[in-house]
Amino acid sequence: MSEMQNSRRHMGLKASRTLANTAIYAFLIAISIIWLIPFVCIFLQSFRVESTHQVGYVIPQQWGFDNYINLFQTDFPRWYMNTFIAALVTAVFQTIIVLCMSYTLSRFRFKMRKPLMRLMLILGMFPGMLTMIILYRVLKDLGMTQANSVPGLILVYVASSGMGYYVSKGFFDTIPKSLDEAARVDGATRFQVLKKIILPLSKPIVIYTILTAFMAPWGDFVFARYIAFGASAGKNVAVGLYDWLNKDQISKCYTMFCAGGVLVAIPVTVLFMCLQKYYVEGVTGGAVKG
Amino acid sequence: MKKFLAMLLAAIMAFSMVGFASASELAGTYDITVWVAAEIVDLTKAQIETYNQTNELGITFNATVEAVSEADAGTNMIVDVEAGGDLYCFAQDQFARLVQAGALAKLGVKAGETVAAANDPSVVAAATVGDTLYAYPLTADNGYFMYYDKTVIPEEHVDSLEAIIADCEAAQKYFSFEMQTSAWYLASFFFATGCESTWETDAEGQFVSVKDTFNSPEGLIAAKGMEKLVKSPFHLSSSSGAEFSSNAAVVVTGIWDFETVKGILGDNMGVTDLPSFEVDGTSYHLGSFSGCKLMGVKPQVDPVRAAALHQLAQYLTGEQCQTERFNERSWGPSNSAVQASEAVQANPGLAALLMQSPYSVPQGQIHGSWWDIAKVIGDDVKAAADEAGLQTALDNYYDKISALFTLDTSALLFVGAWNGWNNADQEETYYLKNNTLTLDVPESDYMGGRIVNPGDWGTDKGFAQVTVGKELIKDLGADNPDNNIVFAEAGNYTITINGADINIIKN
Amino acid sequence: MKQYTDLEYLKLSKGQRLLYRILSFLCAIPSKIGGLFGALWRLIKGAGQAVANETRDIWLTFVNGDWKTKLSFLVMGFGNLARGQILRGLLFLLFEVVFIGYMILAGGYWLSMLPSLGKVGPTEEYNMIFDTYVTTYNDNSFKILLYGVLTIFFIIAFIYTWRVNVKQNQMAEKILATGKKLKSGKDDLRSLVDDQFHKTLLSLPLTGIIIFTVLPIVFMVLVAFTNYDGTHDGYYNNLFTWVGLDNFNTMLSWTAGTGSGTQSYAATFGEILSWTLIWAFFATFTNYFLGMFVAMAINKKGINLKKLWRTILVMTIAIPQFISLLYVSKMFAKNGIVNGFLMSMGWIEQALPFWEDPTWARITVIIINIWIGIPYLMLITTGILMNIPQDLYESARIDGANAWQQYTKITLPYMLFVTGPYLLTSFTGNMNNFNVIYLLTGGAPTNPAASSAAGTVGYTDLLITWLFKITTGAESQYYLASVVGILVFVVVAVISLVVYNLLPSIKNEEDFQ
Repeated sequence: MSEMQNSRRHMGLKASRTLANTAIYAFLIAISIIWLIPFVCIFLQSFRVESTHQVGYVIPQQWGFDNYINLFQTDFPRWYMNTFIAALVTAVFQTIIVLCMSYTLSRFRFKMRKPLMRLMLILGMFPGMLTMIILYRVLKDLGMTQANSVPGLILVYVASSGMGYYVSKGFFDTIPKSLDEAARVDGATRFQVLKKIILPLSKPIVIYTILTAFMAPWGDFVFARYIAFGASAGKNVAVGLYDWLNKDQISKCYTMFCAGGVLVAIPVTVLFMCLQKYYVEGVTGGAVKG
Repeated sequence: MKKFLAMLLAAIMAFSMVGFASASELAGTYDITVWVAAEIVDLTKAQIETYNQTNELGITFNATVEAVSEADAGTNMIVDVEAGGDLYCFAQDQFARLVQAGALAKLGVKAGETVAAANDPSVVAAATVGDTLYAYPLTADNGYFMYYDKTVIPEEHVDSLEAIIADCEAAQKYFSFEMQTSAWYLASFFFATGCESTWETDAEGQFVSVKDTFNSPEGLIAAKGMEKLVKSPFHLSSSSGAEFSSNAAVVVTGIWDFETVKGILGDNMGVTDLPSFEVDGTSYHLGSFSGCKLMGVKPQVDPVRAAALHQLAQYLTGEQCQTERFNERSWGPSNSAVQASEAVQANPGLAALLMQSPYSVPQGQIHGSWWDIAKVIGDDVKAAADEAGLQTALDNYYDKISALFTLDTSALLFVGAWNGWNNADQEETYYLKNNTLTLDVPESDYMGGRIVNPGDWGTDKGFAQVTVGKELIKDLGADNPDNNIVFAEAGNYTITINGADINIIKN
Repeated sequence: MKQYTDLEYLKLSKGQRLLYRILSFLCAIPSKIGGLFGALWRLIKGAGQAVANETRDIWLTFVNGDWKTKLSFLVMGFGNLARGQILRGLLFLLFEVVFIGYMILAGGYWLSMLPSLGKVGPTEEYNMIFDTYVTTYNDNSFKILLYGVLTIFFIIAFIYTWRVNVKQNQMAEKILATGKKLKSGKDDLRSLVDDQFHKTLLSLPLTGIIIFTVLPIVFMVLVAFTNYDGTHDGYYNNLFTWVGLDNFNTMLSWTAGTGSGTQSYAATFGEILSWTLIWAFFATFTNYFLGMFVAMAINKKGINLKKLWRTILVMTIAIPQFISLLYVSKMFAKNGIVNGFLMSMGWIEQALPFWEDPTWARITVIIINIWIGIPYLMLITTGILMNIPQDLYESARIDGANAWQQYTKITLPYMLFVTGPYLLTSFTGNMNNFNVIYLLTGGAPTNPAASSAAGTVGYTDLLITWLFKITTGAESQYYLASVVGILVFVVVAVISLVVYNLLPSIKNEEDFQ
């Protein structure tokens, strides 16, 4: 009697689990479709050759690579290089700065530490948009606007990156302090501790920082636009593409915009896919503990 | 007297002194930046090259031609004039802002005369502040008309807004007319009923008066007409010709979309003037703005460079270059000679613009903030539940126009006229400081005037807002029904106001 | 209000506990404000005390010091040089020389112009020979304000360095008096990678922050007290100048008609602020719970292709928002493909007003924001979910808890505990979520009553997009944008403060090490 009941319960459990899993699969497939629709649409639009403006249908009537070919007749390659350089240099320097900052605040105990962290918390509460005007003027005095805005952009991205130390500090906080102390007892300097012990353990957070720093410049259409106006040579890819959506250009450049969008998305997406594992480790190690 | 002197001076300059600079003084190489619309970048490069080779002044321009949208040029110049293009093109609606921002160099006397003589007078007026030209006319085609899909809208319906809306709703196709985000388009309804918003500036480009009758019985009729359109489920607030491929049957836009629409509709494309709407049995033909595009010269520090740049601007906006732009890009010319050419007359897009032109209003000078203030009327009308709601929409609009001027009710004005009120040109406004004004009257009976409350007439900033009537603070009695203060003798007078008493003392 | 002891508190139900915490927070506000003033007074007193102490110390150093010390008061680094600390001495001396040079060549001018922000604007003249107008540019209010502030920063740095210089002399005398040796330049350099390593590490980031974050913020706060706008740009047209608290009066006044049109700025600000808070709340929590749900769905035992699902979702992170959001915005237009699809299926008669109706638009942006936000939350929660000890679930299952009970009793409390601070930063981050609103709606639909000459205001505008519109609008009212920016700061600061006080535990950061 009890055996039968047990097995029936077991079967019921199994059935309900299968049911639950089926429901979850259905749910996952549904959201995957919703998530992919816009990208698929943009991708399809980029191969449309019968017209260059926005249209009310998704699947092109005539397919071709015209938009991509045309893209290379414009300043697009230049913008692409600008962005790539900005992203690369920013990624390197921003990573160094963020790591310096977060490592120090995680490992050292000095008099100004708490006030410093509090100050940065307060500074972070000011809307950054407000300082666009002055950053433009400062960069202009340094000769880093309009056609030369790439170094200016890098400078601004890198200079203020110290504020974003929270995630990686959170990560460093999870590395036991006893490791440092043991090495210090063995006579290592602080620098050696960083180089020999901490860095090898920090691969996820380093990659996380590089990845976020590398991705940000690709999408900056506000500040980059504000400092590069009036000079095609200084635009990044976001500004260049965004300007194609201006009323006087959109009907001629819309499909090219989509093609450009695809070309921007490819490297970032590929990079992200490859390094996803570290991204997750970095963000879960750091984001929630700060 | 002052005006006379100024004119005399200008005349002397124009005829005797100007042009001392000989060709050799301008000769040289100049590195310049030119901002033009994306589609004419290559053409402009070629035109500058031609200028370099053909000019007799020995000028060579080493020009960087950048694609900057005419809609953005103004905003960018205002962020930083120095970083802006030495020559730049912009749409007329930004003119007032650019003058006030100090981003436009005035034209010299000679250049001003040449440009004024060669171009359409309404376009010249658009680039003029006071008596001075601030920019070079580039096009005169900045107006809108109606494109429609012949398969949806039968030809006999194109004259009636109501019929077109009904056709669109029946076909589940959209009527695209940018009513919710653009004052430029929505003014169409107000012009239909004879409303106006006419602004005047002083010589410095400061707005001194506005005659705005949007908030009036006629304005209400316009709002009722607009209501029919914006409340239709098949109204689309857009002015992009590409909407035809996204289920639109009608798009109100300009000549720049001609090729796009042609590409989508092919032989089904219909082009005509805007339709009429009907309120209380009366029919009103939709109006439009007719505007232009201008080319400005950035203020320069060096007179030689400035003179050279003005030479180039004059060339680029001259007959030859306008013809080239028309031939290659169908840009409607502002140059009278090009306008009169057969090719221009025969152009189908320009023909539609011409059909609309009896109902169009020259854009003139409009306060930069007007565009932002007026564009919300569309949303307000859409949200209105009844006629009272429509009236509120207009009241709100009027409040905002008034709020452009800071009213100081404590200051009073003496508004006087030379040789009688009929001669409006000779009206003068004086401000009473601490309720006192000292005035020179050169001839007997020369000047009469009234003391008015600035709330109804003007403000301490020098803005004047014309409303109905002018309130007089003191009644001067039955024998003076106009309540004018008339100065019987020439001399110097002090006028003081003490409560309701006006004391006039001859010094 | 009744104060509970720890034991009593623990007996309370969850709801009662929260209520109790909120009430005790509210009750504590008066005493907190009192405490604030007390703290402020102590701060002022303390500062006064410190200045007095420092002054006395400096005086004593001078009186008791030898001639080398005394001369160091005038020539910085002289003491170090004379006592053999060449590197330090040279650095001090160099700093002094640079400072004096700067003050004479430029700093003095900027400082003297700071009170007026310039006297002579640009002038235009007619040049008869070339028949052309020429502009002469004169004072530059913008630069005066910028470099004036920079000069003040520099002076503060100089005073601080001078004080350090004095102190070092005092210390050196003491050390020498005990017969020990002073640190050499080599020692100093070595300590920079060891004891003083944090200074080395922080020098670069902090310099960047001071120049590109602190200085601009100070500058923009000051702009709120000027009339800097498109027609007073300080150089090309009119100079700008100090106007005191005028702009704050304009922004915080409830009387309509002061340049704002039909509605006062205060009312507009209130409207936008309340929508910003509503938006931030929903944007944060819809993402949080749905993101967690998706993560749990993907992580569930028996679900295959985990990596594929994750990768698909994560694409929204990898593709720049200005591409994807602009497209999505167009999809939901009146004649966009979403409405087109629904109509062709015959489900609706006429287009849904996704962007036309205020309520529709607000709900639509929140829903589309889920599309943006879920992938992040999924990534974050995936990691945390794996960290939850599995034996908790085992024992729960043995006790007969169903999935929902396991979720509410184990998963959720654990998640909330770990992600508390993250939720707060994500809330304030959403308050300033420029991209989503700007790219999707640009603030539309328009709110006619709130719009004015300062810019069009829409029903989906957040404070941050409003600020952007004021900055780039027809009037370019930078001063007003600056006031709004300061108010945004105040709001964010107050919220952070309140939430931190309400959080279950303000975690001690050392706990994790």
